[in-house]
Amino acid sequence: MSMGRDVYVVGVGMHRYGKHDVSRRDMHYTAGMAALEDANLSFRDVGALYSGYIGGNMLDGVTFAKDFGLTGLPVVHIENASATGSSAFREAVMAVAGGSSETAMAIAFDGRLGNMAAAGGPRRPTMDTNLLPAAFFAFWAVRRMHENGTTVETFAKIAAKNWNHARFNKYAERQADKEITPETVLASPMVAYPHTAMMACGAGAGASAAIVATREVALRLANGRPLVRVIASQMQSERYQPGHVFLGAIVGPSESTRITANLAYEEAGVGPNDLSLVHVHDAFPIEELMYYELLGICPDGEGDRLVAEGATTIGGRIPFSTDGGLIGRGHPGGPTGLAQIWDVTQQLRGESGVRQVEGARLGLAHMMGAGSVCVLHILQKE
Amino acid sequence: MKVPVEEGYFRIPPEAHAAPVLLGSYSPAASTYFWPRRKRCPISLEAVEDCELSTEGEIYSWTFVMLPWLGSMEMDTGGGFGAVQVDLPEGVRIQAPLEGKMGDWKIGQKVRLVTRSVGKDDQGNDLCTIAFRVMEGSK
Repeated sequence: MSMGRDVYVVGVGMHRYGKHDVSRRDMHYTAGMAALEDANLSFRDVGALYSGYIGGNMLDGVTFAKDFGLTGLPVVHIENASATGSSAFREAVMAVAGGSSETAMAIAFDGRLGNMAAAGGPRRPTMDTNLLPAAFFAFWAVRRMHENGTTVETFAKIAAKNWNHARFNKYAERQADKEITPETVLASPMVAYPHTAMMACGAGAGASAAIVATREVALRLANGRPLVRVIASQMQSERYQPGHVFLGAIVGPSESTRITANLAYEEAGVGPNDLSLVHVHDAFPIEELMYYELLGICPDGEGDRLVAEGATTIGGRIPFSTDGGLIGRGHPGGPTGLAQIWDVTQQLRGESGVRQVEGARLGLAHMMGAGSVCVLHILQKE
Repeated sequence: MKVPVEEGYFRIPPEAHAAPVLLGSYSPAASTYFWPRRKRCPISLEAVEDCELSTEGEIYSWTFVMLPWLGSMEMDTGGGFGAVQVDLPEGVRIQAPLEGKMGDWKIGQKVRLVTRSVGKDDQGNDLCTIAFRVMEGSK
């Protein structure tokens, strides 16, 4: 895909992720207003709104948007499983790149996943719900251990790293009061072998928003801050791969990430070695480990070495999940991809405080939606 | 009587102790089998033929899950349950529950398809899904 006009992130906003009881509507308002204030824009200036959520009612997006004002702007509901927020962001980027809007907002919100499930009451089993997502990620982990000799300690180190990154993110679900060790992670209850509870992503509530605009608007709003340009926006759905799973395909074909990343690198004119930081769909540590390789950060089979060297910790060669990722920051579902955009934008502006990646210039954000779609963005500091 | 929890995925032969039969598709254009049934071949986009798949295969991966079972919101699984990815001889990979306990399984073991009861319907029939069982003597 070639973007018509250059597109810039001009505002980002968050409502804290976690197991709180703030309504979805209030979280939506907080994140949206935070993004508008960050951009120094009025809602009147927003040309289109892409509203992402997984649970809820069919008109929640346009209903909640009324809290910002009635300006007549187009409002579209986006739903793409875990890639909902990333897909909403991509639609906003396309609206500005394609010329239909000078400024567009992507916003996403969801309540607690547990509450969403409980609202439906006990469900009759179906073939598609025969197993739960935790099992599918665990299959990937057990196979990796068999083929590459990966140890549970490697998975624990990845999870501990992400918990520790989240300690210094005020919007994270999991803000531990002391450093988390791999031993602590391994001592937590087993969820699905080899993954323990502290390796599983947080599943609280939350909301996130991002505003994108043309270069002209971005320059007007910069106010001394560096511009953050979207230099790649790519999305792919599944292609057939040997061993393809059609029923309960939560993990999806691994090649989806490799193909989408290569398209993004080509579009951006950069390679994996140029990246300063990376966000991925790290619902369990096996995912982050695999994505080191599928994104081309290291050769296939060498992800374990990156973990052993501490290369993916803040301060390392290529930090991953710098706001805590799905494991530490949390994963309400819909908004997660926009939390990645929030963190990458702040990192590129140099506004991340103790989590700041030194000299951050290029950031990548990757999300999978139920294993069936892969959405990937690369942002660059100008 | 045993009946599938959903139609179109497998059938249960009337003979006692007979293994359930997976209902798949075969693409002549791509020489590839699929499960569950496809409306078109996802590779060639050509028509597919209905077929029935093998009832035995090899463990590709496995896990032991300590979470609610089959849509239940309660942790009443009696200490967890096994789950497995199985490769059938036709090249199809199936995900399903796995009988046994932690430590019973390893990658490459031969397994056989069985039914697993998950409740009753309004007529009192046993609603069944599929599961796998390690074949006797398989190491």
